[in-house]
Amino acid sequence: MGPPLQPNQCGSRLGAPPSLPAECGGVACKPGLRVGMAVAAAIACRLLRLHAAGAGGHWRRLRGAGLPRGFLQPASAGEDAAQWRRVAHFTFQPDPEPLEYGQTQKMNLFQAVTSALDNSLAKDPTAVIFGEDVAFGGVFRCTVGLRDKYGKDRVFNTPLCEQGIVGFGIGIAVTGATAIAEIQFADYIFPAFDQIVNEAAKYRYRSGDLFNCGSLTIRAPWGCVGHGAVYHSQSPEAFFAHCPGIKVVVPRSPFQAKGLLLSCIEDKNPCIFFEPKILYRAAVEQVPVEPYNIPLSQAEVIQEGSDVTLVAWGTQVHVIREVASMAQEKLGVSCEVIDLRTIIPWDVDTVCKSVIKTGRLLVSHEAPLTGGFASEISSTVQEECFLNLEAPISRVCGYDTPFPHVFEPFYIPDKWKCYDALRKMINY
Amino acid sequence: MAVVTAAARVLGSSRGLGQDGLLLLRRLGVRGLAISHPQRQQQHFSSLDDKPQFPGASAEFIDKLEFIQPNVISGIPIYRVMDRQGQIINPSEDPNLPQEKVLKFYKSMTLLNTMDRILYESQRQGRISFYMTNYGEEGTHVGSAAALDNTDLVFGQYREAGVLMYRDYPLELFMAQCYGNVSDLGKGRQMPVHYGCKERHFVTISSPLATQIPQGEDALPGPAVGAAYAAKRANANRVVICYFGEGAASEGDAHAGFNFAATLECPIIFFCRNNGYAISTPTSEQYRGDGIAARGPGYGIMSIRVDGNDVFAVYNATKEARRRAVAENQPFLIEAMTYRIGHHSTSDDSSAYRSVDEVNYWDKQDHPISRLRHYLQSRGWWDDEQEKDWRKQSRKKVMEAFEQAERKPKPNFSLLFSDVYQEMPAQLRKQQESLARHLQTYGEHYPLDHFEK
Repeated sequence: MGPPLQPNQCGSRLGAPPSLPAECGGVACKPGLRVGMAVAAAIACRLLRLHAAGAGGHWRRLRGAGLPRGFLQPASAGEDAAQWRRVAHFTFQPDPEPLEYGQTQKMNLFQAVTSALDNSLAKDPTAVIFGEDVAFGGVFRCTVGLRDKYGKDRVFNTPLCEQGIVGFGIGIAVTGATAIAEIQFADYIFPAFDQIVNEAAKYRYRSGDLFNCGSLTIRAPWGCVGHGAVYHSQSPEAFFAHCPGIKVVVPRSPFQAKGLLLSCIEDKNPCIFFEPKILYRAAVEQVPVEPYNIPLSQAEVIQEGSDVTLVAWGTQVHVIREVASMAQEKLGVSCEVIDLRTIIPWDVDTVCKSVIKTGRLLVSHEAPLTGGFASEISSTVQEECFLNLEAPISRVCGYDTPFPHVFEPFYIPDKWKCYDALRKMINY
Repeated sequence: MAVVTAAARVLGSSRGLGQDGLLLLRRLGVRGLAISHPQRQQQHFSSLDDKPQFPGASAEFIDKLEFIQPNVISGIPIYRVMDRQGQIINPSEDPNLPQEKVLKFYKSMTLLNTMDRILYESQRQGRISFYMTNYGEEGTHVGSAAALDNTDLVFGQYREAGVLMYRDYPLELFMAQCYGNVSDLGKGRQMPVHYGCKERHFVTISSPLATQIPQGEDALPGPAVGAAYAAKRANANRVVICYFGEGAASEGDAHAGFNFAATLECPIIFFCRNNGYAISTPTSEQYRGDGIAARGPGYGIMSIRVDGNDVFAVYNATKEARRRAVAENQPFLIEAMTYRIGHHSTSDDSSAYRSVDEVNYWDKQDHPISRLRHYLQSRGWWDDEQEKDWRKQSRKKVMEAFEQAERKPKPNFSLLFSDVYQEMPAQLRKQQESLARHLQTYGEHYPLDHFEK
């Protein structure tokens, strides 16, 4: 099973048949198996008919809807066993076409990332891209075409070693060259945690600004994808939020991704850029072809409102957008929707300004509740806006469990949970 | 030796260009070939052709079951130029350096030694918080530093002060860092001995050194390799040298560094100071193979083991490694055998885990400074009178720098907050302001007198 695909929407830029995401569910994936999984998943996905993302995040029974049941189901499953097909828990809402950056082109999120990388390598002769499998285009196709265009000394594979990838990237950045490292899944960033936290984040500080690795950017696919389970769905931003010296950024859309990624690459501090993998294909909008920047550490109010402030980042922004519509329709409640965009350093002022106006705050993220970044936001807002609050701050997050496989629809902070929390806040 | 010979065969057969297509395929692997020649059809392999086709190894078949014996009894031999009495063994290996240069070696090593003695004492007296000496390893620092260009980038672990000494880092700045005073280029951020100097291309030492933190905190091989790759791309004719101890070589980061350097063809010298101990852990508890040098061939890296207490051996090996690393864009591994005469740090008392006799042997019978002095004396370039004078002079220089450093204040407390990012984020500025306000009321409880206003 793969994420909701609309094959007619998501062709590859080079016209080759779309290759499918390497992640596949059902098996605990150790790193060594990942590459093999890519092939298996590609075959499996091709054989299935996948439904378009529809409104509503519920399961649909599919009886014999063109599915090779023998392929998927064990013989013991029985003739009447229905297959529950996952439909996305969100609807991607594209932003209106941006007019101020010149000509635009329809791009999905991975194509927007490719475009940003292409712009970077064109502009900056020192820039290099490296990581596992980036040479052939990457398991999510973010680097397709770049090696042919810029050469094998600028776009290259590394051995399978995240601590090496980040350490190597730090070294490149220390000499002043631009290093763009790819970690194959955010779930695998942990071997590099020491390099990121003890080295990259502290380089400038500990050397008294004699040395720095500001020209390092680390990119990684992030967040739930429908079937990613324990090791292909994690959102680890909270681990890094606790680390002064780095910046952590999460885009909600192709247009946002390109502008934010370019800002990360050009920023003079080491940055981690998490890309919501479920949006790689599902999110399509008009994106400028030329480079442009979206500022870091600036949250965006994407919808103004007066009664409740909703804050999220990445995929979850689309969930809370829908919750805002539901609240308006069913409860007559006007919501202000904020996309945080940068996790650290985060835009305290925009969020507080909004809560001072509305008096109510709901923060939502897929990552587990305890110690999640909503705790930081909640804590700061209650310090700054205590007397303005009409209700306790609400956090709608993943449960304090590892990310489950079949239980994903129950695990994620979907619009019903957010709606319910909002309703309770209104009635407080 | 079986490992080394087997490795050499692998290296030999895969390093050459213009081999037949079969070997090229094996070297690149099927995927590698697909990347470099997308149009090329995969070569047809006949089943009559009974050679191995595996992309992963370039080797012949064998029909006898035989495990490779790791040769730890007689390991990789130790290259040396001088004997323990400082006499040249094989004249063709004598680098025949000019007197001035050899005197610089000697003075750097002895000045470092003098500075170590004084700063170790100052920690004992509570004047600085911490110190690490370099006793016994001065030869590894100076021999290697002398073989590099001044612009070659150095990534050290924490026991390489002699490299900076050789590059004429002023005593004032050594002291400033140890005291964390206003002259410290590192702005008082780190513990003593965490030197750094951009001008002298010596990257600031990292890794907390408190003894309770797991050994080998040092995470430098990765960054060093990246820096070497960037130097290669920039056609800088620069090598990067990365120093580490045999303990740090157990870290995963060392493995990552070696593998990346080899696969990405980086001009880097991995310089391992094998000094027998990682704090209290002897080498028998650190590894079971033939030290660090034997690991090199496993990664496809040119490797050598040298007598680290023989400054000329260190010099010769580093010089040749540097020349080839830059010319051929490949990594080199030098394992310099030596002995850590001093304690791990001022937080350590090594009599708890080794005998005084063992330490005395190295101090008296096989010390890099003594061996070089004997060489100098036999050449007529040094004598007891000069020795006496130099000792007095170097001690005086160190004491002066030391007293000056002690008198200077620490940097202003607001420097606690800068350089976290290139620009100070709003939240941090608020925290900085809140500390300033706090000190206005509670300042008497803080050592503000020692800090610059």
